[in-house]
Amino acid sequence: MRITQRSLALNSLRGLNGNLAAVSKLQNQLTSGKTISAPSDDPTGTNTSMLTRQGMAGNAQQARNISDGHTFLDSSDSALQNMLDQVRRVRDLAVQALNTGSSSSASNVAIATEVNGVRDSLIAQANQVVQGKPIFGGVTSGNQAYGLDGTYVGVGGANGVPVHPVTRRVSDVEAIRVDITGPEAFGDPQSGKDLFAVVANIASHVGDATLLTTDLSDLDNVINGMTKAAADIGTRSARMDDAATVNSSQALALQAKLSDTEDVDLPKTIMELQMQQTGYQAALSVTAKSLQPTLVDFLK
Amino acid sequence: MSTFSGLNTAASALYASQRAIDITGQNVANANTDGYSRQRVDLQSIGGSVVPAVWSTSNEVGQGVNSDSVIRIRDAFLESQAQAQHATTANLTVQSATLKSVESSFQEPGSTGIQSMMTNMWSGWSDIANHPTDPGARAQLLQRSQTLVAGLHSVAGALNSEWSNTRDSLRTQLDDVNATAKSIADLNQAIKRATQAGKPSSELQDKRDVLILHLSESVGATSTPAGDGTLNVTVGGVTLVAGNSALQLSLSGTNDSATVSTDPPVIKTSPGGTAVQVGGTAQGRLASMKTLIPGYQDQLTAIAQQVATQVNAGHQAGFDVNGKPGEPMFDDGSGNVPVTVNTITAGNITLRITDPAKVAAAGVDPALIGGAVSADSNNADAMYQQRLLDTGADAVYRKMIVALGVESATAASNLGTQTVVSSQVDSSRDAVAGVSIDEEMTNMLQFQHAYQAAGQLVSTINSMLDDLMNMVR
Repeated sequence: MRITQRSLALNSLRGLNGNLAAVSKLQNQLTSGKTISAPSDDPTGTNTSMLTRQGMAGNAQQARNISDGHTFLDSSDSALQNMLDQVRRVRDLAVQALNTGSSSSASNVAIATEVNGVRDSLIAQANQVVQGKPIFGGVTSGNQAYGLDGTYVGVGGANGVPVHPVTRRVSDVEAIRVDITGPEAFGDPQSGKDLFAVVANIASHVGDATLLTTDLSDLDNVINGMTKAAADIGTRSARMDDAATVNSSQALALQAKLSDTEDVDLPKTIMELQMQQTGYQAALSVTAKSLQPTLVDFLK
Repeated sequence: MSTFSGLNTAASALYASQRAIDITGQNVANANTDGYSRQRVDLQSIGGSVVPAVWSTSNEVGQGVNSDSVIRIRDAFLESQAQAQHATTANLTVQSATLKSVESSFQEPGSTGIQSMMTNMWSGWSDIANHPTDPGARAQLLQRSQTLVAGLHSVAGALNSEWSNTRDSLRTQLDDVNATAKSIADLNQAIKRATQAGKPSSELQDKRDVLILHLSESVGATSTPAGDGTLNVTVGGVTLVAGNSALQLSLSGTNDSATVSTDPPVIKTSPGGTAVQVGGTAQGRLASMKTLIPGYQDQLTAIAQQVATQVNAGHQAGFDVNGKPGEPMFDDGSGNVPVTVNTITAGNITLRITDPAKVAAAGVDPALIGGAVSADSNNADAMYQQRLLDTGADAVYRKMIVALGVESATAASNLGTQTVVSSQVDSSRDAVAGVSIDEEMTNMLQFQHAYQAAGQLVSTINSMLDDLMNMVR
């Protein structure tokens, strides 16, 4: 093949351009810190990257859901514990009232008054509101679970309406229930034997040993139910903890995966850049040497 | 044999060497001229008369050298190959560039593309699921849905303007093609006249070849010699330039990317109106306008429709804060009820709901709970889970982006290969037609020496004649 000065120059230029393009690509990767700046850089990587980003967004949202669910569960738990303490006080008072021999009618009145007081406090606690929702009110859109007279005004679990659980989405495949309705925790209001009815009965039956004994066993049933509800909440709280652990380790894994897919491998890229630069400089110096001389230089 | 014939021989030698040095000068002067083909004096020895005639006999010694013809060294096969390869390269360059710019319209992968807008919208539903009675969460969802709508509009707009820009570029390019075709016709005329007059026209031919190669890149033109020194230029089987007359090309068809399928853009001759199968850059631009860009516009519209279909269906299954069933979230901006999904495009998709109270988060029918309004958030959670659907908008969108990446990467790699092929043909052309300074310098020395020798010959014959004359004195 015949080689001319012009073809030599054009070939050199093409080679130099190619070199410079490679340097520029590496430089771009290093300055942006990303290996994928457009889908065509790595279509498979793009797919992984988009899936991972979607996963990370879901993960972050679920982390929010989990902490939110925790708040709800913790509030329910502490409300139940407080109420249990007070119910035990009611039980003590009822037992005290049963000891008819030692109590006068004045002390009976005092016991009845105190029980009524505790009942009001229990109703107030059962209406506790978290994030704008009464925690024992089921799916009610109102702001109360129980009326002031102790009737259930929440939605779900009573009056023929099934329980509609309130849940928090903690992973793509799992949603944990965070609420417990009033009827579930304190007994079915329709039976007339729920917490507030039983406590009201105790207050009115002080002085009547027979009725009070029945009330006391009703109260024990209610206490059992409340303890069970508290245990239920505790179990769910533990599930929520597990979900949080899974969630945060998943967050780390996803972040690592995204970084693996998108981020520049620094040592490798810097090495490549060095090599490319060396190549580029060599090409420059060779081009400078080969383009200069022609026969003209040697003719006298 | 004539006494003076030796002088004639020497004179022809002097003339030949001088002419060769002149041509060397021309070659060196044009060593870097684009499209210049090196020239060479075609030296022919002049023999004695070989056919004996009455009263005429050959002295059997040649009569010197003929240096009248100057030839242009060029390989016609390589030229036609270059035309084809340059056309293909130009076509692939445009297609690759179009795909790159489509890619940049989508801004993926990243946190500013449509994917993250969709993800944000679904997360908004999950926030509502946490706080179904909080108007703030509902307002946030509406904002995020609106952002998604704006994102779809913006990408649709970017694709649309890419289409319009391509069309404008093609129009301008055809003006250039028409001017070039006219120049080629003019050059044909000049070359024809020069050929008829027996004058050399190498430089004009070089210029014409450059213009034809330009047309090859532009519209995939090829050339065929017509015999009288002129070249006919054809594009896709249609003769664009014949002798000294040139046809014009013009672009017709829709100027709106939405009606490409019914009225596709086409290049026609004028006059004549024959549709031309162009190559080169014009082919790439036509392909961008007919398939590449509309293809992605259609896919984006399919995604907008998918978003509308699944969100509307999901939303209508729920109940708002007043216990009423949810209304469709998205429509085509007409406000018609019921919403027809088929008229929705990425450019006109509109968020219908502006009142946060109308966001249907609840999944429990008030009729089932004794007429009370449910504050559950089952529907909001179901909406959140839509992001995981196998055939949902997210998955369809991701598939499209990956396919775009593959198509663009393939186009770029094809272009890379084609560029190498094309540059190899260019190198081969240059190897034949290019000027080598070393070679020219060698020729120069060679002819200089020949000139000196011929000069020596003249002075030798001169002194011989002197001697002859002195004999008679």
